Amino acid sequence: MKSEAVAAKRHYLLRAFILLGFALYISHLATSGKLQLYVAPEMQLWLRLSVIPLVLVAVTLVYHAFFAKENSVICECGMEHEVTGSAFKHTLAYALFLTPLLLGLVLPDRALDGAAATRKGMILGSPVLSREQLDGKFKAPDKYNEEFAELAKRLYIQELIEVKPEIFSEMIGAIELFKEDFRGKKIKLSGFVYQKKDAPNRSEFVLSRFLVQCCTADAYPFGVPVSSVAPLPSLRNDIWVEVEGTLQTGEHDGKEIITISAERVSEIPRPDSPYVFLNSNAVIEYLQRLDGPL
Amino acid sequence: MINKPAPLRLLPVLLPAAFTLACLTVMLPRLLPALDLSFLQTFRTSFLGILLEALPFVLLGSLLSSLLHLFVTEEALDRWIPKHPVAGILTACVLGLVFPICECGMIPLIRRLIQKGMPVYIAIVFILSGPIINPVVYGATYMAFRLYPEMVYARMGLAFLVSASIGFMIYATWKSSPLKVTRSTLNSESAAETEMRNRPRGSKWTAVLVHTSDEFFDMGKYLLIGCLLTAGIQSFVAKESLTMIGNGPVSSYFFMMGFAFLLSLCSTSDAFVAQTFLTTFSSGSLLAFLVFGPMLDFKNTLMLLSVFKTKFVLYLAFLIFAVVFIGAVAVDAFYFT
Repeated sequence: MKSEAVAAKRHYLLRAFILLGFALYISHLATSGKLQLYVAPEMQLWLRLSVIPLVLVAVTLVYHAFFAKENSVICECGMEHEVTGSAFKHTLAYALFLTPLLLGLVLPDRALDGAAATRKGMILGSPVLSREQLDGKFKAPDKYNEEFAELAKRLYIQELIEVKPEIFSEMIGAIELFKEDFRGKKIKLSGFVYQKKDAPNRSEFVLSRFLVQCCTADAYPFGVPVSSVAPLPSLRNDIWVEVEGTLQTGEHDGKEIITISAERVSEIPRPDSPYVFLNSNAVIEYLQRLDGPL
Repeated sequence: MINKPAPLRLLPVLLPAAFTLACLTVMLPRLLPALDLSFLQTFRTSFLGILLEALPFVLLGSLLSSLLHLFVTEEALDRWIPKHPVAGILTACVLGLVFPICECGMIPLIRRLIQKGMPVYIAIVFILSGPIINPVVYGATYMAFRLYPEMVYARMGLAFLVSASIGFMIYATWKSSPLKVTRSTLNSESAAETEMRNRPRGSKWTAVLVHTSDEFFDMGKYLLIGCLLTAGIQSFVAKESLTMIGNGPVSSYFFMMGFAFLLSLCSTSDAFVAQTFLTTFSSGSLLAFLVFGPMLDFKNTLMLLSVFKTKFVLYLAFLIFAVVFIGAVAVDAFYFT
């Protein structure tokens, strides 16, 4: 009985240590702003909140290990307690829980890059609207069409269309929906450089972004093909650039897509928030902001 | 041997481990640039992404399950559950509207409910319908398929039909308990419960939190293995090479269901992945992806295996596969026209 209690104590302490590790790692990510490299803004609140129960449970376990009465250390409550079972199995299980913490600490935090884009498959054009839309068997509901049309109308009258990161996919989508009308318009946008490995090119690349819905596992890359008039000697995969140029249309795999003929390509530092997120409110906010000064 | 104090027993392992750690610390800065870390980085980012996303929900599920265990008696639960199977199944189908938790949080909760005497078929209906028929998933699917609202209605409708019909099949065919028999017997529970109820308040809350950690570590193992494998598949297998496999009219269904199984995405985000396939695959096969994935995938199969007997999990997997396939083909033929 005595040695069992000691074993239980050790388990509780180890678990408390792991839970505290998770809590510390999450708060580290949250305070350093790196959380958005892993999960979308809507999910972040949940994660921040989960620190509270993690710490609470960890503290309770420590308390339980040291101060609980002998008989209640191993409570017979119909649960399969881990306290029995082979040591090897336990070591394996706890090693499993330490894996994410070790991975998190040893390797630097990095956003998804071109290598991931190759594996996930680059989509040219906006992912929100990248198909033979609005015809055939499906019909578009008016609400979103209106939103895109409204957005397109506002963009059309701008001298230089600056693509905002918060509504990146929506703006590209609106432009793509009316690509014929936007041909020849000036545009400015930023993203990372993606080139297929087998086609290194000094003047053509895909200006890309990752769209993240919940977490990085469902991220997928999309982008707009850019061709530069002047050759770009310093062009390489995964650098971040700002492109200013003229909208064109081109063909890719039998589908008409938008392309950009760049007049100016300049390297910029990687932004703190490299991904774009889908956010229907952001479009409305953007439209309201445009209305403001008028 | 057993009576030796722990540090002494660990010594033979500890010393080499410390040595390796020291070597790595010295060598790592020089070794790192030489390795191609791009795969590892993608793996790490996806792995931590899935894990961090699921963590709050597993925690919530464990907490709810633990509260349920200590505060809700079997008799009370018995009174809430409708007696008639049809009423029970239909209630379970829409239970997700009230409890919008995703599948990771669902399984610990369900285990506890079955232990408390909830009929298995009702529990299964809740496992199947809960991750799809809930407001969060409806909103996410609507966002992803904003141009094709038919897909949203088809997803919700098919999920309802599939879970209800599987509920009836299990009601008719599976009589014995599908739960794994665990070391500690279930009948000791009531004794423990009365003991728990007689305790002072403070120690009751301690018990809730200690239980939460038990559940969390129990489920977490399977979640972690699932996350590791899913991230591995996502970062080492190219999507292009996968899509080459399934382009036939029938094989696209099998491919999309297999793909959903391997990817193990959360049901709130899978719609966005599905809609990137709109140009490559038929609407019916996308529907199969959207309905099959949340009901059965790599991550939750491991979690199911930890709770249910292997035979039962296989039976359930077969039912889900067959019913979703038939349903998706039927919807494609009669609704998507």
